[in-house]
Amino acid sequence: MPGTALQAWAGQDQALTALESALAAADADHVEVFVAARTGHHTRFAGERVHQPQTIIECQVMARAVAGTGSARVAVSSLAGARDAVAAASDMARRRDGAGGGGRPHGVTGPGGIPSAAGLCHDSTLAWDAGARSALAGRIMDGAGSAGVSAAGVLTAAITELAVVTSAGQRCYAAATEAGFSLTVQAGEASSYAADLGRDVSGLSVEERAETAVSQAAATGNPVPVPDGVHDVVFGGLATAELIGFLPDFGFTGPAVAAGIGLAATRPGAELAPAGVTVADDATAGAGLPFPFDCEGTPKRRVELIAAGHVGGAVSDLASATATGGHSTGHAHIARESSPAPEAANLIMMPGAASEADLIAGVERGLYIQRLWYNRLVDAEAGTVVGTSRDGCFLIEDGKLTAGLRTGRFTESVLGALARTDGIGSRLISLPVPNVWNGCSSAPAIRVRGFRFGSRPGKV
Amino acid sequence: MSEQLPHAAQADLGPAHRWGDLAGGLATAGPLLDAAVSRAADGGASYADVRLSETQELRLYAVSGNAPDERIEGSLGLGVRVLVDGVWGFASRPLRDAADAVAAARDALSNARAAAVGSRERVTLPPRAAECGLYQTTAAVDPFAVGGAVRERVVAGALAAAAATAGVVQAQAGVNAKRSHRYFASTEGSRQEQHFVETGGMVLAVAAGGSVVQRRSYPNSFFGNTAAAGWEYVEGLRLTEQAARVGAEAVQLLTAPVADSGTADIVIGPAQLALQVHESTGHALELDRILGDEANFAGRSFIGPDAVGRLQYGSAAVNVVADATVPGTRGSFMFDDEGTRTRRTMLVTEGVITNFLSSRDSAARIGAESTASARSDGWGFLPLCFATNVFLEPGTGSTGDLLDRMGSGYYLDDNRSWSIDSQRLNFQFGTEAAWEVRKGKRTRLLRNFSYGGITPQFWGSLEAVAGPADFRTFGMPCGKGEPKEWGFLSHGAAPALFRGVRIGVA
Repeated sequence: MPGTALQAWAGQDQALTALESALAAADADHVEVFVAARTGHHTRFAGERVHQPQTIIECQVMARAVAGTGSARVAVSSLAGARDAVAAASDMARRRDGAGGGGRPHGVTGPGGIPSAAGLCHDSTLAWDAGARSALAGRIMDGAGSAGVSAAGVLTAAITELAVVTSAGQRCYAAATEAGFSLTVQAGEASSYAADLGRDVSGLSVEERAETAVSQAAATGNPVPVPDGVHDVVFGGLATAELIGFLPDFGFTGPAVAAGIGLAATRPGAELAPAGVTVADDATAGAGLPFPFDCEGTPKRRVELIAAGHVGGAVSDLASATATGGHSTGHAHIARESSPAPEAANLIMMPGAASEADLIAGVERGLYIQRLWYNRLVDAEAGTVVGTSRDGCFLIEDGKLTAGLRTGRFTESVLGALARTDGIGSRLISLPVPNVWNGCSSAPAIRVRGFRFGSRPGKV
Repeated sequence: MSEQLPHAAQADLGPAHRWGDLAGGLATAGPLLDAAVSRAADGGASYADVRLSETQELRLYAVSGNAPDERIEGSLGLGVRVLVDGVWGFASRPLRDAADAVAAARDALSNARAAAVGSRERVTLPPRAAECGLYQTTAAVDPFAVGGAVRERVVAGALAAAAATAGVVQAQAGVNAKRSHRYFASTEGSRQEQHFVETGGMVLAVAAGGSVVQRRSYPNSFFGNTAAAGWEYVEGLRLTEQAARVGAEAVQLLTAPVADSGTADIVIGPAQLALQVHESTGHALELDRILGDEANFAGRSFIGPDAVGRLQYGSAAVNVVADATVPGTRGSFMFDDEGTRTRRTMLVTEGVITNFLSSRDSAARIGAESTASARSDGWGFLPLCFATNVFLEPGTGSTGDLLDRMGSGYYLDDNRSWSIDSQRLNFQFGTEAAWEVRKGKRTRLLRNFSYGGITPQFWGSLEAVAGPADFRTFGMPCGKGEPKEWGFLSHGAAPALFRGVRIGVA
């Protein structure tokens, strides 16, 4: 089969050697320099063609220097430029020394404390090459065509690397494979959906789940509108993962705590949900996209945002930890076109004991919502989010899935939904978090007693 | 802005474009482009194109109480796209040396051959004559040449002004600049170069009182506004003066009333309306989406491929144009990212769909010409159909005239939340601020304003658009594709009057 082999772009020895050599160019009080690289192989397909087979290699080397009260970052796209980046950041930081404009810059991470990176790279994912992915895409599209439906999706194999070296002695490197898929099957106005993400493709059962999605879409008749009103709703793992992805916006970040805004700052320890509800950012766990440290070289710590139903802690980076007088939890992040800010990059809702079928069986009349779409924050204090349902949603009647559902709009509180959760599934499903490096949200299915679709009382 | 043959020396470029490894024109970039194109052609590609670009971004952002973050990010790389036996392949990588150009072409060929295994349908790309040209944006004052102390003073001044009103708990201010050299070559003989400089600024104030948190921003929510211009754009924003206003308004919103839920007449300001155009017009008219290519992620569209000349999208007051030839915005260019020369294209004419936002691939599938809407996120990602300088054409009169015409209702602007379904049909937006309008005059400030609707019904309720004097453009990033890439776009509108819109929906 043709197809380029999946391999790390930088490599441990080359990355650490280049970064350590670059530190020699530093003329500053503190310096950190990291390289974040990713080689992604993506097979996109729709209808009857693989229309976007891609290999995308990205690499960013970023240096941060601190000189007195000044600090600055400089980034380039190759390891060969690391030394120049460190020198330029040092120059900028010295220029900024004494310029004022806010608090004193934070320092850099000291040595050690990095958990083992074992188990992050999987041969099965490395071997999932373009030929294998394309052949699978062809089988999925053929299967869909035979069933009288159409399929569109993406199959991804990637390897992500991060290396960090600091003037305080931190030195770390890790590489991790990543496998993911998502698939939408359209049958007229009805549709189904499947997706998952992890380090090891062999744990994703891609073909089996694709076949299920195809048969589910083919068996769905004309969908019906989502009835306006409050329903008992079983959210599939993907929809739940979308919902819990909003928790950091409700005040579970260091900057929010520093500003005195949000739940962690204003209602620490308050009861939010039943004791079975625990949501943590845990990059040390096996689920989702675990990774041992952040781009400041700080080891990642498990942070429980909701601990057994109660308000927990906040994720932080060095800057926000300095502002609040604590220690970084290892969640430093620098998004494009944004100020650096800590991110919960591997959110996980702890699974329960029920199967998804059990959760559905416990609903006499309600909704099964597999996928949510275009969800946006409306009110961080109330936890209100607006969004729509999308593919693979069904009525539940007498504990069974029946008619497919059209798109329905909701404006509801995520916190309220968690408070009314009375069942938690046992199987985690993961989805990528856009615009967050190595970002992932993982959750089981949940059953919520009372979630409104359509207009709210007094609203149009 | 200028058009001429690709240049051979830095002297052909404006001062703000004379920087970096790729400032030397095709004398520098040509061998790299040729190496990739030749490797692709020799490897069996019936068509190939190469995008080589170098970019540098400068940001100074400050959050109250924290040390400012100043950073410069550079990137140099290329992407190669090939068509082999009717199947596409793509590969991109950072550029370290000439070997990377050849390696990217090799990987693209390999991907196309692998994709053939799963593809049942083949692409036929209509041939095209070579297109060559040079484009450069205008920057009166090179933002990268502005001293650090000047940037610092602007940001610190805005930050202090935004935080000056008691009740503001967090303020943020920032300035940014981006410059890039973009080269394009294809097996059809096209050789193009484009050079861009963008500059922007922002300020945001967050106020809190009791359990209420409110925000105001300027000149647009979500990281301000960016234009294809120099530092003069930042100076024109008058950030400090506006920061004082947004800080005060954020605090006023804490105790402002909420509009009753119901149906009302509204005048939507240009910043919010630009986003409305983006979400419900631009996305809905992307031809790759309409044809199903994006069904798995971005979604499809309620508009079908047979809509041109047939679908009544809105009222006769709705005229929407895609025009990347308009200078000075984030969506201004001469050639899109697959080398198609841009032109002014009416998308909606007096309420009727008249064209799509298309690429070569998608246009060929409906037997049409590309409308030069293929854009990509730098060198690293495939060109996809993106909305490019999609504007609601202005009407006549002033915003004040519109408010008089409305009489009673609401004036709203600056987005706070936005959501639209995957068919681009059912939407719900919230704005940072709204004002009650009585007898044609803005009165009290309102918080948590929201409105919603169904796209063609909503645009069918458009009664009038203010004139060119009140037209504004806004640069914005947009996410699409798998893996998700950003398109950097611009949309524009003048305030417009809509009748009978559902409000208070959130």
